[in-house]
Amino acid sequence: MNELRALSPDASGSGAASGNGVLAPLPDTYYNRPLLKKPHWEWEVISYLFLGGVMGGSGIIVALTDDRKDPDLARSARYLAFALAATCPLILIKHLGRPERFHHMLRVVKFRSAMSMGVWGLIAFSLPAGLGALGQASRDGLLPRWIASLAPRAITDLLSALFGAFIGGYTGVLLSSTAIPVWGIGKRHIPSFSVCSGVASACAANALILALSGGSERSMKKVERFEFVASIAELAILLHFERHAGTLGAPMFGGARGARLRRYTQIGGIAVPALLSLLPLHGRWKTALSSLLTLHGGYVLRETLIEGGKGSSEDPRAASRQPE
Amino acid sequence: MPGLGTSFGRGGATTFVQDLPNADCILIEGSNFAECHPIAFRFVMQAKERGAKIIHVDPRFTRTSALADIYAPIRSGSDIVFLGALINWILQNERYFREYVVAYTSAPNLVREDFQDTEDLDGLFSGFADSGTYDTATWQFETIEVPRYDGNGSVRIPKRDETLEHPRCILNVLRRHFARYTPEMVEEACGTPRETFFQIANLLADNSGRERTTAFAYAVGWTQHTVGVQYIRTASILQLLLGNIGRPGGGIMALRGHANIQGATDIPTLYDTMPGYLPMPSALRDEQTLAAYLKSATKPTGWWANTPKYVVSLLKAYYGDNATAENDFAFDYLPQISGDHSTLPTQVAMKDGEIKGYFVIGMNPAASGFNAQLARAAMEHLEWMVNIDAYETETAAFWCREGVDPTTIATEVFFLPSCTIIEKEGTMVNTNRMLQWHDKAVHAPGDTKSDLYLIHQLGLRMKELYANSSDPKDLAIRHLTWDYPNEDEHELALGEPSARKVLQEINGYRVEPGKSGYECEQVTAFTELASDGSTASGGWIYSGVYPDKQTNRARNRTGDGYTSLDWGFAWPANRRMLYNRASADPDGKPWSERKAYISWDETKKKWVGPDVPDFPATKAPTEPAKHGASGMDAHSGADPFIMQVDGLGALFVTGALKDGPLPTHYEPIESVIENPLYGQQSNPTLREWDRDDNPYNGRHNPAYPYVLTTYRTTEHSGIMTRYVPWLAELQPALFAELDPELAVEKSIRNGDWVTISTALGEIEARALVSGRMRPLRIGKGANRHTVHQIGIPYNYGHLGFASGDSVGDLIPLALDPNVSIHEAKALTCTIRAGRRSSGLNAELSKPVPADQVTFYGASRAHGIDRGGD
Amino acid sequence: MAHGFFTDTTLCIGCKACEVACKQWNELPADGYEFTGDSYDNTGGLHGTTWRHVEFIESMPDAPGAPPTLNRWVMMSDVCKHCTHAGCLEACPTGAIIRNEFDDVFIQPDICNGCGYCVPSCPFGVVELIEHQVIQPRFASDGRTNDNALQTRGGVAGKCTLCYDRQKLGLVPACAKACPTESIQFGEIEELKERARKRVETLQERGVSASLYGVDEKTSVGDLNAFFLLTGPPSAYNLPERPVLPSTRQPAGYASAAVAALALALAGWTILRRGDT
Repeated sequence: MNELRALSPDASGSGAASGNGVLAPLPDTYYNRPLLKKPHWEWEVISYLFLGGVMGGSGIIVALTDDRKDPDLARSARYLAFALAATCPLILIKHLGRPERFHHMLRVVKFRSAMSMGVWGLIAFSLPAGLGALGQASRDGLLPRWIASLAPRAITDLLSALFGAFIGGYTGVLLSSTAIPVWGIGKRHIPSFSVCSGVASACAANALILALSGGSERSMKKVERFEFVASIAELAILLHFERHAGTLGAPMFGGARGARLRRYTQIGGIAVPALLSLLPLHGRWKTALSSLLTLHGGYVLRETLIEGGKGSSEDPRAASRQPE
Repeated sequence: MPGLGTSFGRGGATTFVQDLPNADCILIEGSNFAECHPIAFRFVMQAKERGAKIIHVDPRFTRTSALADIYAPIRSGSDIVFLGALINWILQNERYFREYVVAYTSAPNLVREDFQDTEDLDGLFSGFADSGTYDTATWQFETIEVPRYDGNGSVRIPKRDETLEHPRCILNVLRRHFARYTPEMVEEACGTPRETFFQIANLLADNSGRERTTAFAYAVGWTQHTVGVQYIRTASILQLLLGNIGRPGGGIMALRGHANIQGATDIPTLYDTMPGYLPMPSALRDEQTLAAYLKSATKPTGWWANTPKYVVSLLKAYYGDNATAENDFAFDYLPQISGDHSTLPTQVAMKDGEIKGYFVIGMNPAASGFNAQLARAAMEHLEWMVNIDAYETETAAFWCREGVDPTTIATEVFFLPSCTIIEKEGTMVNTNRMLQWHDKAVHAPGDTKSDLYLIHQLGLRMKELYANSSDPKDLAIRHLTWDYPNEDEHELALGEPSARKVLQEINGYRVEPGKSGYECEQVTAFTELASDGSTASGGWIYSGVYPDKQTNRARNRTGDGYTSLDWGFAWPANRRMLYNRASADPDGKPWSERKAYISWDETKKKWVGPDVPDFPATKAPTEPAKHGASGMDAHSGADPFIMQVDGLGALFVTGALKDGPLPTHYEPIESVIENPLYGQQSNPTLREWDRDDNPYNGRHNPAYPYVLTTYRTTEHSGIMTRYVPWLAELQPALFAELDPELAVEKSIRNGDWVTISTALGEIEARALVSGRMRPLRIGKGANRHTVHQIGIPYNYGHLGFASGDSVGDLIPLALDPNVSIHEAKALTCTIRAGRRSSGLNAELSKPVPADQVTFYGASRAHGIDRGGD
Repeated sequence: MAHGFFTDTTLCIGCKACEVACKQWNELPADGYEFTGDSYDNTGGLHGTTWRHVEFIESMPDAPGAPPTLNRWVMMSDVCKHCTHAGCLEACPTGAIIRNEFDDVFIQPDICNGCGYCVPSCPFGVVELIEHQVIQPRFASDGRTNDNALQTRGGVAGKCTLCYDRQKLGLVPACAKACPTESIQFGEIEELKERARKRVETLQERGVSASLYGVDEKTSVGDLNAFFLLTGPPSAYNLPERPVLPSTRQPAGYASAAVAALALALAGWTILRRGDT
């Protein structure tokens, strides 16, 4: 080895300094490019969030309804829950990059992955929902009587409610367990208003079904009252979320998107139906209209949530100090 | 090349990149080292980590500047002012390495009394003739008569004053010549702030001398100018004064332009040299017989006294048994040059219809050339063109380019697809002068063949065609030795010649009549070559690479972290650092322990060190010069520059350069200002073409107020990289870099399309507005003003995944007089926002009037040009 | 033994050899030919088929006449951070994303079904789905296009594998191998961290404000197995000042959902079961 290389470096012989002065600071973003990656969630996922809420909420309604007092409601909720349980997975499979590999979801049961939990939750819900619907169908004379005995109502209803509640809330957990700032700051708000919105939408959906199918008016009124409570809770949480999120909330609550949320969800989807229910108005058409407004409001909420999240992912400043 | 060649003896880097970590300071100028030689740049980074100061002087703040300790902006084309001012400062402050300068350079020599400097003639030297050339008689040294070493009469040698006080000693000639190159002038002409200049001057001086060394690195930022050779000369003078040549961590690292350009000049594709830098015989000199040529080409003293051995050995390699002492070793078979046959004049001749056929091999003048329009128009006048390339280039597709009707072009175009480096075996010679063998890794697809195969086949078929000819001039083809049968059966069956055998022949062998070269014994060094026809060598400088049939030293791959003599083979004789005798003092001891390299071992009676001594191995340092002797005996044991006639580093060049014995600042032919130093505006001997198809913007033309410079990006070379998706996506479009002030003035936003124009036409590019480009303040007093510089890469053409206009379409031809290299770095232009409306001026593609046509496209000298009017 | 990268940005010359070596080794396609005008960065960022990305940050002093030596051009080769607690790994519902024996985060391309949940779950915005279409076909040596590699990868998530395949053979990852100035250093993590800490000290002695990003971190993401030496705030390099492991928000989320559900269930019980008018 040449001995020259072994010599240790010594400081430059002269005092000649290089460029005395403070170096210019670096800019605070990288060409204002997004720091995070945008989720690839389009109408399939938005629809699933919405329909899943209706599905889960229906499962809750199923358990809370007394079949003897409100058989129409119970029937509606059971069939609705089952129909959605059959179709929602198809929507989710479609949105996969590799739909033919959907069964890979079943390779693991991963508690720390909200999506894994969701997959298994969906399966866990589908079974009691399916059995419940079978039982309902058998009692309704569409299927042989003996089928009903396969699915004791007490068990299927309870499981539908438990997993239904899970379905209603886990999607909010799924969203806030990403790096997206507006979702992250809503880690308590989004799961809870998702549950509320799901229940409200489920109530509206079932009320709509009762209204259009000539179901019991008394059941209709009851479920509308339940919808009222869930909606008000949803609105309260939403308003609190807007305050809590502060600047991070702008992609959801500001601009055209925020205006849309206010118009179609907060006002059109919650306030107006609530007002309508307080007024001494009755009739199927009022119920149908009110339900449609609520349902639309529920969909717009999920849409705003997803689109707002995408907007939030584009803001490098917001993504730099991520919420705990 | 001649810049280094005339100063030190050989036209190549004086050191090797692996030595850069030993530098205490590295000046990078005329080079964008980190971007263009990123792998070698790691050694600069290693130097930096060891505490070396890295200085980068460049018109643009580049990726090299980002890693440098000091960045100095400079107006493109004004480096001689900058370097000259450093020389002036060094001399005035007496910061030169005196003992080195006195012993190892021509500083003490006296110049003739009738020599007149640029100080006397306002920018010219004595001897300038109307023809635009210099008579160099007055540039010689004053001589005195001394007795010959053997007592037989006397001989004249240069008169010297080792006290360096005589007004005509070269050191004082330098003082006078560079006296006007002051720090104030640097500010005025270069736009470089005075403080930065002083910082750099002090760093260079502090890091030179016995204990410390400074290395310079340059590339085509210095050579692609009409005074390119003189840029190198200025740097050479500076490094000689600082005593850095031939010392570890010192030297001048000439970074060659592409991966095998060193090989392409060693075994040359140059029209005026033969392998090993032997001059091509010329019809313009008294060289029509072998004896006359050898007399003309051989230097009486120094290593080049061996020239006849190399010439005769080369002829034996070419013609084998057909070259004998009786027929002057077939010297008559060699063509004689009769002018400047370099590529650009040839292109001009092609446009004038004087060239019938064209082989274009691995070159793309239609896109990468300068005045590329003229090149494309020229090709339309050919009867035939053979394109040998791995890619379909703009040249291969010149006949179907946009705006051209193929039915109007009569040229028969052949395209022969050729191998890329991994599809054939052979050597590459890198900027360290090192040969490295590469093996064939994959078979090329389809009909693709190696260049070696194609040229070999051409020769075979021509030999067949001429087989029955009785014309004596056809013997030059018929008598060529052309047998290089491949060792591999499969390759042999395909007709692929053996690259090994070619390299063996280049190395040289001992001739045995009746036997082919590959059947003979190899020589082990060029010292074994003879002028009596007993040896053959296709390129004497590579001798030693294949010392016996089993040993291909170009394939060696054992590294030791420093000189790595067992990795590859560097010419000459595997020396890594040239002129390394200068790393020891005249007594043979290292100048300091810290900078020890080669030293004299008194017990072993030879020179020892980590490298091959660039000196006769056993010649003692105290051996006196034998006046009147020939070859190496004329040099003493303390004359390190063995290729030079006098063994010394040349501060002053007495005749080999056409534009002066000393570097002088001349403005480029297209300039934004009058020459602030002299009345003579531009290099009087630069070559230009006064033709309608080669219009110049002129000097100080307000229509073209910005300096334009061109360069490459790391990501691209040309068509080769534009077809690689991974590289194309990194720099997908042609861009023009300009400073924010200019952008605001012209309402140009970053990313917008802009159009840049010169007298030749317009091109469009995307604007890259950046503070890395800074406007410079130049001029003095009332004339002080801001000049903007615009930079455009020359990597683009219309083909490829990454495409764009060719900046070469904007640039007229103007050449350095010594090597015919073009001005590519300091031009002028104007810029505006928006896409180009027209593009190129179609008029320029038309033939020029008869009075503008010159003999084979010859250029003419610029001449005296005092401005005014 | 944990292996990873130490990227020392003070040695980066912005040559992009790492980007090209990575694409070549992993047979990734070009992503399009768009001129961005963002200094010399036409790549933009990491995504499904770009696993090394060189950033260029220009910083020039504003004051006119400021010494040119104060110009500053910072370059960095960005890569997947291979976090100790990786957001993508936590999110993955198929178990495609794993920690391998070198402690690096690896996406098994034959298992991923492209659900895309990892994509917004990375606090550094690294992982992305690979699109199905190929921008430019790659040519095999006999001239045929060969985009099988991409077709098997289309629709799934892609990111730096830390050259798992090369590591298994005892080779250095392609980017580290190609880097001429050893800005990208590969090795055993603890050793790299020691080297990096010393390097920071050396630089600070020279007056360079250097700091390590991803070493001795107190965030929920933990230390990064691909960590960096920076000379400015992380946000300039498009790195988060405070990254958070997103899955840590789950307990609060499930709890809130449970509370809401319980409250509503109570209300619902009252209204539906008992609320007969």
